[in-house]
Amino acid sequence: MSEQLKTEIAAEVAANKILVYGKGTKTAPRCGFTLETIQFFDHFGYPFEVVDVLENMPKREVLAEMTNWPTLPKVFIDGKFYGDTDILGPMAQNGELQTVLREAFGGEAQTKATINLH
Amino acid sequence: MIDNDSLAALIRRDLPDAQVEIVDRTGTMDHFNVTVRSRSFAGRTLIEQHQLVYGALRGALKDGRVHAVELKTLVSEG
Repeated sequence: MSEQLKTEIAAEVAANKILVYGKGTKTAPRCGFTLETIQFFDHFGYPFEVVDVLENMPKREVLAEMTNWPTLPKVFIDGKFYGDTDILGPMAQNGELQTVLREAFGGEAQTKATINLH
Repeated sequence: MIDNDSLAALIRRDLPDAQVEIVDRTGTMDHFNVTVRSRSFAGRTLIEQHQLVYGALRGALKDGRVHAVELKTLVSEG
């Protein structure tokens, strides 16, 4: 069971440059932190996927073991685990995240940050 | 539910030198803002620092005493 889940998680992580395991979906988040994470990545303008694991306790267990991180959401970028916005926020502030994203997407995508005039 | 002192004690069990500040975000004693300052964080990445704290809170998160934590870690001097 858990081996099967690990394989499933590895495939999901490999298939998405930015992957968020959260509570609820992208259009209907069911947790404030998941919503916050979706808004965070909306701002960057790169494509990302949200996998809802709210009701999937076995998968949440396996994810927690794999990452040594007990809470949701959990964010993976380019196959690497980055925790949540408590980690990504400071990384965005010091510019580290922008570098990670640029490298993950090969520099082709434009971020939305530059057109925010407010 | 867990009170602030018990939550801080859980963190100090793994990080004995930790200075812990806790704010109950919702007044329901299960959603917290937690700031931890410890020498143990020196030389570790932010994610490793958070993993140390989450390791200490694992049981309380798993059994539902704590639902959500907004965490901030700082390296203390000396």
